[in-house]
Amino acid sequence: MSARASTPVAAALALALALAAAPAAAQPSIGSPRTVTAASGRCGVCHPAERVAFETSPHAREDVHCVSCHGGDDRAIDEATAHGHGFTGRMDRASIPRMCASCHSDEKRMRPYDLPVDQFSLYQTSRHGILLAGGDKQVAVCSDCHGAHDILPASDPVSRIAVSNIPRTCGRCHGDTTLVRQRHIQNAYAQYMTSVHAHQLFDLGNLRAPTCVSCHGVHGATPPEVDEISKVCGRCHTAERRYFLAGPHAQKMAAQDVPACIACHGNHAIEASRVDRLGSGCANCHEAGSRLGKMGPAMLADYQGAMTEIEKAEKQIARADEVPIQTEDYHARVEEARTYLREAMTAAHAVQPELVAGFTLRARSVGTEIQSELQHKFFNLKTSKLFLIVFWFYVLVTVGILLRTRNRPPRRE
Amino acid sequence: MSAGGPGRPREAEKSRVDSAIDWLEQRLNLTEIFSFLTHFGIVYTPVDTRLPLRAALRRIGASPLVSYARWPQVLGLLTALLFGLETVTGILLAFYYHPTADGAYDSTTAIVRDVPAGWFIHQMHHWGALLLVGVVVARVIRLFWDRLYHPPRELLWLSAVWLMWVALQLDFTGRLLPWDVHSYWSSMRGLELIGSQPVIGPLIGFVLGGRVITENVLVRSYALHIIVLPLFYLGGVWITFATMRRIGLSMQAEGGDESSRTTWHRHTLNLLILLVLLTAGLVTLATLLPFRFHGPADPYSTPANTRPPWYLLSPFPLVQLLRAPEWVAGLVLLLSGLVVPILPLWAARHPRRLSDQGLRRLGIVLLSLWAVFTVLGAFAGRR
Repeated sequence: MSARASTPVAAALALALALAAAPAAAQPSIGSPRTVTAASGRCGVCHPAERVAFETSPHAREDVHCVSCHGGDDRAIDEATAHGHGFTGRMDRASIPRMCASCHSDEKRMRPYDLPVDQFSLYQTSRHGILLAGGDKQVAVCSDCHGAHDILPASDPVSRIAVSNIPRTCGRCHGDTTLVRQRHIQNAYAQYMTSVHAHQLFDLGNLRAPTCVSCHGVHGATPPEVDEISKVCGRCHTAERRYFLAGPHAQKMAAQDVPACIACHGNHAIEASRVDRLGSGCANCHEAGSRLGKMGPAMLADYQGAMTEIEKAEKQIARADEVPIQTEDYHARVEEARTYLREAMTAAHAVQPELVAGFTLRARSVGTEIQSELQHKFFNLKTSKLFLIVFWFYVLVTVGILLRTRNRPPRRE
Repeated sequence: MSAGGPGRPREAEKSRVDSAIDWLEQRLNLTEIFSFLTHFGIVYTPVDTRLPLRAALRRIGASPLVSYARWPQVLGLLTALLFGLETVTGILLAFYYHPTADGAYDSTTAIVRDVPAGWFIHQMHHWGALLLVGVVVARVIRLFWDRLYHPPRELLWLSAVWLMWVALQLDFTGRLLPWDVHSYWSSMRGLELIGSQPVIGPLIGFVLGGRVITENVLVRSYALHIIVLPLFYLGGVWITFATMRRIGLSMQAEGGDESSRTTWHRHTLNLLILLVLLTAGLVTLATLLPFRFHGPADPYSTPANTRPPWYLLSPFPLVQLLRAPEWVAGLVLLLSGLVVPILPLWAARHPRRLSDQGLRRLGIVLLSLWAVFTVLGAFAGRR
């Protein structure tokens, strides 16, 4: 901060040195001609860290300057002038969204970048925006997610808003244990990180896996309403939603204001689909011994029966590959059977056992067909070994004849 | 011999065959060609190349001989017979085999699965190779035990060891060719040991095209397996039978055993019986214990418990259990490769320093050590 005290002198010196074009003799950092740039003017002389951060962002290359947001004069060589001219300094949090919107809601200015201009109006509909309008300044504003100076586009992997960084960006507040306790909200970040979605994104590197914004919206972030949940999940899980809506659960749960999907699967900590839950999940709401309570275990039994048959078939195919017997067709049919099983799990969302049984039965029959066909082939292989008996009979006969011939004295001419 | 035996065909036909042979005889020295062929294991009696073929055969047929189609002389014969079998089946396999990383496994499975009788050819080649390696190793042990490295049989001993080394190399290059996951990784382990030998390790790596098994190594293994090593092997067979022709069989030289003298008639039939039983045995093994495929090789994932081929297992525990550096195992391998052929020859020349009895005892000790380490190498450190 001693630099700030000697700013005018240093700046004058820097200018003199720049004019003398003797950079090698210049004092390091302060006053170096490189601290005065087109993007940040002379602000970087006193605010080097902010200048460096700012100049990493695309703003610095697009005719946005320090003064565009902060006001003041970036050509002044003394602090008083620099901080004159409508200088705002550190901005009031409540005014940030409107300030950013002054450019980002301007259709004409955003057109070259093909950027949307509805972020501000969306923000105003978001829980963040509504609370901010109500005077709660703790809620997220633009700079909390995008950064203040080092604003990077989502396409940059180190950006706060790159897909794989979004959970951490939201988690700065929604995973902050103090904040979460104070405001009586869920620790959504911690829950999300245990979910199958996070596993897909972070462990398997699937950048199409859903993050916070996939369900809650980006600028208009808000929790989905009870009746919206199946629509939000159904954006990706289309088949599950179709079966769910066809089944009895959809109407009855809606009538009793029970949220769809999350009633069984949870909201943030969504587990990977587990077949065994089919056997235990019904008992959460229905009596275990009742007709409805038994439905899940019955579907599970169908499923597991079919799975056993398919696994047996796969073992036989592996054996056949060792021989090798032609198995390309069997590999394809096992895939087909597994597809039926996958569809059976999806169909279970309609909670109609006969619908599930339609798929499990098909899967099971493919499994048993493969087994019987391969068993037939193995049997043929085995029985062909019995020909060794016939073979050895002839071998022994031949050896016998040769022995006889050997022991008979050769005929003389 | 059949040409020299009593003729069945009618007079007219016989004369036609005779005239054809006469026609050839005037243009080629058939006896010389026959004599050349005998160097590869048909007859070991000297052939008089000045006589016409039929007269030469008659003379051979008339003389009594020591039957070598019986234990233990049969081992020498088997090295030639099995090599013949491997050559025939190998040529048939080469018609369908693709020596590329992409094509090797698929073409091998296609031979076994799709080509008519392909499975039979492949299994015969596989089992014939296993038997051949067993036979050459057994033969070296037998020659050692019966002290057949004494003059004038030094070359017989050296050629037997040579045949063993070449057969093991044929096995090593051949087992890589199916590009099966097990064969690939066992070759990989083997190559690590071979490559860790001082001096010749890097040389072998250079000849094979790398210390890690890649497609280049596959192609070179193939070339070595089907061209270079078979020629080396034939050279060994030739030396074996050429020395035998000069100095005769051991029993003959020792002279006494009259019961081993036999006629060509008996000998030929013994040979035929041997061939029939050998083929029958191989067919049985090939049918009951066929080679199994375990999926194509994947250089990016090592299956558990990979071991080098059995004949390279003995230096393996040094690395695996005693944590010795790899070059120690390589040195052991190299020294054993030098000691096996040279030590008996040296002992034969210096009987005072190392008697035959002492050498036998040393041989037993080394062989049991080798066996123990081989078993250790096969089972130690399995997960």
